[in-house]
Amino acid sequence: MPSLPIWEFDVLLLVLVVLFALISLSIRNLMGAAIVFGAYSFMMCLIWAGMGAVDVAFTEAAVGAGVSTVFIVSTIYNTSATMQNKPGGLTFKLFIGLVVTLTGAFLLSALPDFPEWGDSESPANAVVAPYYIKNTITDAHVPNVVTSVLADYRGFDTLLETTVVFIACIAIYSILRTETAKSKTDEPEEEIAVLPSYDPSDSLIVRQASRFMIPFMQLFALYVIAHGHYSPGGGFQGGVILGASLILLAISFDLKFLLGHWSEKSLMLLVASGVFLYAAVGLACVFMGGNYLDYVVLDPILPGKGDMARSHGILLVEIGVGITVMFSMVAIHINLASNGRFDRGL
Amino acid sequence: MLLVLIRAIKGPTVIDRLVAINVIGTKSIVLLLFAGILFGQLEMFVDIALGYGLLNYIVSIAASRYYQHRKCLEPVHAAQGRQPS
Repeated sequence: MPSLPIWEFDVLLLVLVVLFALISLSIRNLMGAAIVFGAYSFMMCLIWAGMGAVDVAFTEAAVGAGVSTVFIVSTIYNTSATMQNKPGGLTFKLFIGLVVTLTGAFLLSALPDFPEWGDSESPANAVVAPYYIKNTITDAHVPNVVTSVLADYRGFDTLLETTVVFIACIAIYSILRTETAKSKTDEPEEEIAVLPSYDPSDSLIVRQASRFMIPFMQLFALYVIAHGHYSPGGGFQGGVILGASLILLAISFDLKFLLGHWSEKSLMLLVASGVFLYAAVGLACVFMGGNYLDYVVLDPILPGKGDMARSHGILLVEIGVGITVMFSMVAIHINLASNGRFDRGL
Repeated sequence: MLLVLIRAIKGPTVIDRLVAINVIGTKSIVLLLFAGILFGQLEMFVDIALGYGLLNYIVSIAASRYYQHRKCLEPVHAAQGRQPS
């Protein structure tokens, strides 16, 4: 594809990205900054798509458009939308500026060592990538090379990434969660008392629309997880979309409504069980006499012909990733929106 | 797209920005599909565009919910004249 105007398009988008970043830094109202920050991730998604990295673009679309801005909004909801200038912080600001500048200079100094963009002679492109591209169909029967690299060739990395998501969820949970609704130290009492339990009629359109949309979102997310072998997508993206559908349920109805269906205990159990599924697949490989996460030896207990084992193993692992990511997103949102009280919120 | 950008950059109120960002999101769905046509792999990009379309409006709902709750709360802080909204 030599004639595509990719380069000019990229320059335009990069200029827009920097512009949006500067704007969202300069806005004093944090709510506006959060919303402009959403546009930043739109532009990043377009850049990834322009580079042809569709899986990354998909992740950016799911996380940036769906979930991260909602997290920021619910954080602002529980704190405050206006910035407060702390007095006497000039030396601190100078210190931070110094640290950031030094880190930036340090990172930029490593820039000349990188290979050129799209350089076919760079180590990654010359050695590893041709192996993946050549062997992924015969090894794993997975046309989407990204999926097979993610979940098969580089399965350990993805296992640890899933664990990182799990740990992040646990960290947010342990920081924010408060046992009872009686945390009156940081909030005036009457605010809790008179917070309106809004009547069911106040957002009929939103409720009915989301009631209509949520099944389609979940179906699409399941398709993304299961069809990740053939098209962009996989556990992370599908999990984020599934989590976003539950978050939409929590926003458009009520947090209590969501917690009535998914109790706190089952949410956290499911967060853990996703990682557990991933690790258990690896352990099962060990018990069947192979290496950890070496799906080939799972062949006797998986359906299908012999050489499909790796494909099925990837699918199992992706389901584990999807479960963890989905319920991590939901748990993080509930913690942020209800200030850790798990009763009501955004 | 340029007009919307101006509104998103200048936007006197947050609501202006919210609507502008929403329109940008809708337009980027179209841009994604154009990129798919350019690459000759439309079926890849349709997925991303679908995901985008499904997730784009959650932020708007969250933000409007935020404003709904804040409006309810403000009279309470003033400790006078609160009325059910």
